[in-house]
Amino acid sequence: MVVRAFLVMLAAVLALPLGAEAQKPIKVGFPMIMSGPGALFGEPAAKGAQMFVDEINAKGGVLGRKLELLVRDTKGNADEAVRVSRELILKENVDFLVGTLTSAEGPAVSVVAKENQVVFIAPIPKTDQLTAPDKLHPYVFRVAATTTMEGRSAAEIVAKWPVTTVATISPDYAYGQDVTRAFVEHLKKIKPAVQIVDQQWPKLGEADYTPFINAQLAKKPQAVFSSLWGGHFVTFAKQAKPLGYFDAIKYNFIGVGEAASPESTKSMGKDYPVGIWGNSYDAFYWEGPPAHKDYVARLSKYLRDEYPSSWAIQGYIGLQFLTEAIRKANGTDSDKVSKALLGLTVDTPIGKQTIRAKDHQANRGQLYGKTVMDPKYPFAIMKPIEYVDPTKFID
Amino acid sequence: MRLRRLPWPLVVLVAAFFVPALGSRFYTFVANDVAIWALFATSLNLMVGYTGLVSFGHAAYFGIGAYTTGLLMKKAGVSFLLAFPAAGLLAGAFALVFGFFCVRLTRIYFAMLTLAFAQIVWAICFKWNEVTGGEQGMPEIPYPSFDWMEGLAAVVPLVGGYRTSEYFYFLTLVLVAACLWLLHRIVDSPFGRMLTAIRENAERAEFIGINVRRYELAAFVLAGGFAGLAGGLFGIFNRGVFPDFVYWTKSSEVLIMTLLGGMGSFHGPSLGALVLILLNQQIVSYTEYWPLVLGTILVVLLFGFPGGLAGAAGALWTRAAGRFRRA
Repeated sequence: MVVRAFLVMLAAVLALPLGAEAQKPIKVGFPMIMSGPGALFGEPAAKGAQMFVDEINAKGGVLGRKLELLVRDTKGNADEAVRVSRELILKENVDFLVGTLTSAEGPAVSVVAKENQVVFIAPIPKTDQLTAPDKLHPYVFRVAATTTMEGRSAAEIVAKWPVTTVATISPDYAYGQDVTRAFVEHLKKIKPAVQIVDQQWPKLGEADYTPFINAQLAKKPQAVFSSLWGGHFVTFAKQAKPLGYFDAIKYNFIGVGEAASPESTKSMGKDYPVGIWGNSYDAFYWEGPPAHKDYVARLSKYLRDEYPSSWAIQGYIGLQFLTEAIRKANGTDSDKVSKALLGLTVDTPIGKQTIRAKDHQANRGQLYGKTVMDPKYPFAIMKPIEYVDPTKFID
Repeated sequence: MRLRRLPWPLVVLVAAFFVPALGSRFYTFVANDVAIWALFATSLNLMVGYTGLVSFGHAAYFGIGAYTTGLLMKKAGVSFLLAFPAAGLLAGAFALVFGFFCVRLTRIYFAMLTLAFAQIVWAICFKWNEVTGGEQGMPEIPYPSFDWMEGLAAVVPLVGGYRTSEYFYFLTLVLVAACLWLLHRIVDSPFGRMLTAIRENAERAEFIGINVRRYELAAFVLAGGFAGLAGGLFGIFNRGVFPDFVYWTKSSEVLIMTLLGGMGSFHGPSLGALVLILLNQQIVSYTEYWPLVLGTILVVLLFGFPGGLAGAAGALWTRAAGRFRRA
């Protein structure tokens, strides 16, 4: 049985190259978390990528060839991400990889991409490690923000607040530590008068934040930086609000890790600590560049969601960069596309984005703003909302 | 039946050497994956199937082995020749410490304690950024050097001209085969029989003068050591070591392989590893509801064939053979 199944599969693999070269679609592998808690972000990212692919195929594809997106579930495991990436490259013969979500999956797949000389664009992992000088290779690129960019963006905002004593609360693992370090170092540099009076490090996935909240209040900070992301922020805020935490710091609270994304505010509704600051990759209500409004309308229709996801944009931009590079390289050769990506500027729905030749990193800023209730929506939105361009403080 | 007398393990091993020759690099990776997990699952079966100790934390030793080899080869530049046995030794040493406490408990309490120790190991791997790389793990574990193979190829025909990943596959086959042979010797030895006696009736075994705890601890350490060796290979194969390796889901995955394949037979877990990896790889290509499919298969199997796939295959074989004889 197994042998026969094996031979059938082998025959299928061997039969593939017989198709005519010109009509063959350009295959893009998309390893992404599609099950478990991470799917909350992974699934919309895959949908955003698929929407881009559908749209470009409707216009005749790229260089006369259609794009084909092959999504695979990484289950949030680095080893599963490696497994599916190998399958995509060696069995499905994909020409490119776009994908991965966690800071473990990104670097793990980067090694596979390097060994197989396949261009890999990471749309979500933020770890600085992915494009650090010792890990960088010709085939890895990132269109996500990095921990350095995110921490420094938050520092730029907090520096404008009339506060001198600042505290932090972050999950105790690589992402929380890296982004908090970036925030603290940059804040001290641009506003030396600031004092860091307290740092709380609850473990990732902590269920009871009460001791951390009380300990932090005892130090009487005037402002707080947090990198509790996604559901962790929701748990934290629900416990902190009744304890008078946000009132005590007069809502001088900035939550990175997309604490002000429409998903977070929507899931908390009226329980959201309205008045705090936060960030997001995208927001459907943002009046950004003209192309953004059109993108949101299309996405809303595609997802059949009145308030479409803020994560779809990452899959969309990843595919957009790849397509532009294929066009510029006039083919799908890995080395040529890799070269085409260096310094490439693309007009994305959130404005012009450029991948720096130096470190293969896009100048992907995020949206920051103070949350307010808006009568138009049953949840909080960021207003005023601002795209913080990290170009000036990226290095 | 003549077929039954064939040295099947040897046939499978020889056949496995020809997988790269089929020309698909992908299936070489799959075969490599299967070989490593087969060793991991068989090491667990030494406890679950032979000694009757159900461990929920076997991934701890797999992970310790992976981190040991990874750290030694990547950070210290130690050769694979030393880093590989080190994985087994260190995992065995940890198994000795954890097992010392675990065997003092029985049944569910034993299982829970193995899980607790595994989660401690995971927490350390996840948080100790300076050494383990924390959540981001350690990518880019180097392959062992195969230059000597190329040198050998100049003298002996047919051994050269492969890719590094394929040399590593051959190396995995040799090492896994050796480990499985050792494990087989262990369960067939008087020591192995004692373990079975403990599984069947621990009280009675104690009465005939077996020091049950010491034997259980010995099984625990051996299982941990072999899991560590599997982990050492997997870190290199996966091109990186990550805290996921130690997480409880890995422990359940290997337990499922063992149950699926059949813990009543020595080769059952290897069969389980093969089937689970192929199933996973096939189903994931079509749907993200892979756990649903796996759950259904497990329920059917547990009710229909408590002996796992190996048990089911054995039953079918006996029936077919009986019919053949009658005819």
